Amino acid sequence: MTTVGKVGTETSPTQPLVPRDDRVQGQVWNMIRFEQVSKVYDRRSRPALHDVTVEFERGEFVFLVGASGSGKSTFIRLMLREERASSGTVYVVGRNVARLPSWRVPKLRRGIGVVFQDFRLLPNKTVYANVAFAMQVLGKGRAQIRQTVPEVLETVGLEGKEKRMPHELSGGEQQRVAIARAIVNRPEILLADEPTGNLDPETSLGIMAVLDKINQNGTTVVMATHDDDIVNQMRRRVVELHAGGIVRDETGGGYRTEVQA
Amino acid sequence: MRFAFVLGETFSGIRRNLSMVISVVLVTFISLTFVGAAGLLQQQITQMKGYWYDRVEVAIFLCTDTSTTTSCAAGPVTDSQRQAVQDLLESPTAAPYVKSFDYESQDQALEIFQEQFKNSAMAGTVTADQLPESFRVALVDPEQYEVVNELFSSMPGVEIVSDQRELLEQIFSLMNMASVIAVSVAVVMLVCAVLLIATTIRLSAFSRRRETGIMRLVGASKTMIQLPFLLEGVIAALAGALLASATTWAVAEFFIGDWLTGQYPGTGFIGGGDALILVPLLLLVAVLLAALSSILTLRRYLKV
Repeated sequence: MTTVGKVGTETSPTQPLVPRDDRVQGQVWNMIRFEQVSKVYDRRSRPALHDVTVEFERGEFVFLVGASGSGKSTFIRLMLREERASSGTVYVVGRNVARLPSWRVPKLRRGIGVVFQDFRLLPNKTVYANVAFAMQVLGKGRAQIRQTVPEVLETVGLEGKEKRMPHELSGGEQQRVAIARAIVNRPEILLADEPTGNLDPETSLGIMAVLDKINQNGTTVVMATHDDDIVNQMRRRVVELHAGGIVRDETGGGYRTEVQA
Repeated sequence: MRFAFVLGETFSGIRRNLSMVISVVLVTFISLTFVGAAGLLQQQITQMKGYWYDRVEVAIFLCTDTSTTTSCAAGPVTDSQRQAVQDLLESPTAAPYVKSFDYESQDQALEIFQEQFKNSAMAGTVTADQLPESFRVALVDPEQYEVVNELFSSMPGVEIVSDQRELLEQIFSLMNMASVIAVSVAVVMLVCAVLLIATTIRLSAFSRRRETGIMRLVGASKTMIQLPFLLEGVIAALAGALLASATTWAVAEFFIGDWLTGQYPGTGFIGGGDALILVPLLLLVAVLLAALSSILTLRRYLKV
């Protein structure tokens, strides 16, 4: 009697979000892949993204840099399917997000945690309740929530502050709550849109340490920022956008060289 | 767990939006009460039709001294004329239409008159010779009145052939009109209710946009995000429908069933039991309208 067949069908942590047949045939799929993506909001103005082709691998830590209006936010919105590309294709975990039926979009978003500059916490809920909320709305059981939330709060360095209200916390602490909420459902990807934009440099470093730790645990992290200091200190892959196009794609610290287009 | 969470969200939404929810309850209550009233009127009409149509007759009034119609110019009815009418009633010509008939003399007519108007001063002043004698004819099919009218109205000694059903029809058409008015008011009020539910849901969705924004972000399903709002509208409308049902029942039980029946013992009135049939209908209307307007509003204002 063999158990090999059974083991093969079991869900493993590395199992993709989508069934195998949905993936691009005959190629090793990336975590995130943009193929000649353009996004036009308004026909008269210049496109928000223009012919962008880029790939992010599983477990990568990528900085998305560029001035305001360079297309960073559009980049993130396309991955979440808040927007659809005007042309080209966006793949997340090997799946063409534009082709997802609308009822599958929540499932896509369950695989992606998001953090914003303005934290977006619920002001009338405690730290614990804010993080638990993300599990409750996915229908997770009470026992699982009671076990997971404290673990995640420890990961972001908020142990002992479960009962605080958001307004009693510093900006850095609030952002840690937001990060805890983003990762409590164990997404494979964490998108951070200017997560340190409202924080002083020292607090920002704390946040970066948390993001780095999450990345070490295997989560792909994509962070949009225009904070030079942080980018220089972290020495990770940097993708620079300017006027909707990629003008630089550098791998700091020598992880990898150029990404093939 | 999951259902408890949705219900919790629903009630927290109702608490935050209490004044709007109460207005939805009241508007639904009033509009469905009008629907209920129309339903009661229709039930009453059906009830009375069943009760009276078995009892109404066609009356063939014969001429008296005081008759003024041209057919009675020759004076009061003679014995041979009366016999001719009776013969025709018994003949094969009339047989397909006539179920049975009775002769009512002037004295009998006076008795009935005095019984009907015993509380009125008129009863004392009327004498038997002022009232016409008549044949009371029950028809096989009450709709065939015109045939009987043709047969008898031109006979000598016959003053007039009258269909009592016509009187009833007038009452019924009056009641029908009342129920049409009730339904029209109900429709206007229901439109108000639908718009109010839509506005309420919109406000509720707006006041909880932070929560729903986070729900979307972490990948909550459409059901999980929208169901609390849908339930909010449905619960408010259901509360209104329950109030309307209670009111409709109370009207049927106490006003119609007790008071009116006491006032007019001879008439068949409906009671509280008949109103209970309307309750599921009112609840269904409330749920459908609330669900429909909520869904349309959410589709527009709460993107997932």
